[in-house]
Amino acid sequence: MSTHETTAADERAHSASDPIVEIRNAEVVFEMDRGVSRVLDDVSLEIERGEILGIVGESGSGKSMLASSMLDAVVDPGVLSGEITYYPEDGDPIDVLALSDHELRQLRWEEIAMVFQGAMSSFNPTMKIRTHFEETLEAHNYSLGEGMDRARELLSDLYLDPDRVLDSYPHELSGGMQQRTLIALSVVLQPNVLVMDEPTAALDLLMQRSIISLLEDLKAKYDLTMVFITHDLPLVAELADRLAVMYAFELIEQGPTQDILHDAGHPYTRALLNSTPNLDAPLEEMRPIAGSAPDPVNVPAGCSYHPRCSLATDRCVAQDPDSRPVDGDHVVDCHHWEDAADEIPLNHLANMEGDR
Amino acid sequence: MNWWVKRTGQALFTIWAVITITFALIRGLPGDPGSRIRDQAQRHNPSMSQAALERLIEARIPASYDDPIHVAYWEYLTSVLQGDLGYSTFRQGDVAPEIASVLPWTILIMSLSMLLMFALGLGLGALMAYKEGSRFDTALTGVSIFFNSIPYYVAAVLLIAVLGYRLSVFPARGTHSDATEPGLSVHFVLDALYHATLPTVSFVITGFGIIALTMRGNSIQTLGEEYIRVAKLRGIPDRRIAIRYVGRNAILPMWTTLLISIGFMFGGAIILEEIFQYRGMGWLMFRSIEHNDIYLMMGTFLIVTIAVVVSLWIADATYGWLDPRIKSGDESESY
Repeated sequence: MSTHETTAADERAHSASDPIVEIRNAEVVFEMDRGVSRVLDDVSLEIERGEILGIVGESGSGKSMLASSMLDAVVDPGVLSGEITYYPEDGDPIDVLALSDHELRQLRWEEIAMVFQGAMSSFNPTMKIRTHFEETLEAHNYSLGEGMDRARELLSDLYLDPDRVLDSYPHELSGGMQQRTLIALSVVLQPNVLVMDEPTAALDLLMQRSIISLLEDLKAKYDLTMVFITHDLPLVAELADRLAVMYAFELIEQGPTQDILHDAGHPYTRALLNSTPNLDAPLEEMRPIAGSAPDPVNVPAGCSYHPRCSLATDRCVAQDPDSRPVDGDHVVDCHHWEDAADEIPLNHLANMEGDR
Repeated sequence: MNWWVKRTGQALFTIWAVITITFALIRGLPGDPGSRIRDQAQRHNPSMSQAALERLIEARIPASYDDPIHVAYWEYLTSVLQGDLGYSTFRQGDVAPEIASVLPWTILIMSLSMLLMFALGLGLGALMAYKEGSRFDTALTGVSIFFNSIPYYVAAVLLIAVLGYRLSVFPARGTHSDATEPGLSVHFVLDALYHATLPTVSFVITGFGIIALTMRGNSIQTLGEEYIRVAKLRGIPDRRIAIRYVGRNAILPMWTTLLISIGFMFGGAIILEEIFQYRGMGWLMFRSIEHNDIYLMMGTFLIVTIAVVVSLWIADATYGWLDPRIKSGDESESY
């Protein structure tokens, strides 16, 4: 694959961090009749080689846009700007947005693959599963024999009967089987990065858990970097090494999973933690977040969370907070993050401590 | 297997029911055929003598007509099953070979029309969908609606007037020129196609519009499906996506329409063949009604019915193969 030197990549010294995908100032804009819809607003994110990154946010917060951006696959008429850089294991960094169609075809699925929400709608209903695998291998000039052996192995790694699944039509598989088949299809070309957009959304709780544990096995066996996008914070917390929280098309906080769960700095993250059902906390303590997520055409000025935030001051209305480090890799975009812990106590922590 | 037996049984039942109903209807025509023939003959030739009239009536009405109705019905049914469709008094010969001699002409026109209509409709529809919202799309949508709203017989008359007489580029009537010897020669085939042009064109230009518009709608819907996006990301070549993903899934709902339209075209053939004096099934059917030729009437109806029933049977039988989600009966397996 041909590569492009990028200025951003040159400028940045690779210190301790070893990113595999780097997103700088990514922005997605849709021109609409009622104004400009900014569905991804100046997002910068590094995905470390070999990690599992969880991206959490409510519906319509721009999570899927972020996922599509990594593959330069934003749907028309959306316009993506910024810098997306892919760092292969050996070789020069690749500027994803500068790739030709042909190079992009190679990057997608061979280097970075994606699992979409809704497995059922991701398969052609009039084609057998086997054909899906074969045409993908053929389109990328991979050896069919080797590729299909790998497909079989992947399917059995995911506790599926390979021959039976390959000879089925998509509608003949259950939801969980389809989802696992789709995961196998996305790693059949041995990509380095697997981006999953709500891969467990339509599944029951048991199937969600089993897919999570299968993903862990898969990651270990095939040496994958994973990006797991979901609205379900407790689910991803089990899997992810690091969490990034999105609100109103921006990343507002990111850090190691344990730091986020126990010491979240952003009032939104804390409210999100308190709004999710938890076995440790009684139901009465579940707090919904008042208000609703902003419209992408009309995002509040300053900190976009201020209309719903109990800590908001005039400063939050006037000035959009920059990222500031909490400690180590934990960064948060909030003027008042130091006060958040006192203002919004975390239910699950309070109860755990109460039990002791 | 069970399903096939049931479906074939249904088809046979339909054919039997149509035989019975046509038989009853033709027997039940008001007035007896004798007086109808008498009236008609006297209108055409008032000077005809009484004896000549009687001879004519005797020749036209089959001898079995005076049998009790259940006997006549049984006789007709059993002879039909043996392939004997009776005697045509108007054509002075057996009905079955009469039909066999004109059927190829109708099949020629219909298969040409269907082929061109669907090729044009599906192709244009898919193109319109790919260029949705463009000027090409808007213009062609208008054109499709316009042509689709013209009745085929009006188009036929206009084509005859302009291309047939004013410009004289295509023959306006007949299946082949009298000078050509029927046979499998290049000359004859070309001549037959030349004569088939205007009838075919009248069907095609008035029929492709609805197919194009349906295909356009189906394709636009299919193009918006998630699996198209996933296929693009997987790097599947555009050509394969257009044919195997968009085309295949967009055509599915139209498959039954395609085969049902065979029946419609047989019906249309009566008027069209009359306009073009094209000696096919429609022309023969019209003559049989005009001449009170009972067995010829029943025979032509029967053949048309069988054609429609068989088309539908094929449509049903192949649908499960085209769309794996529709499995015929008990062979579906879900786990």
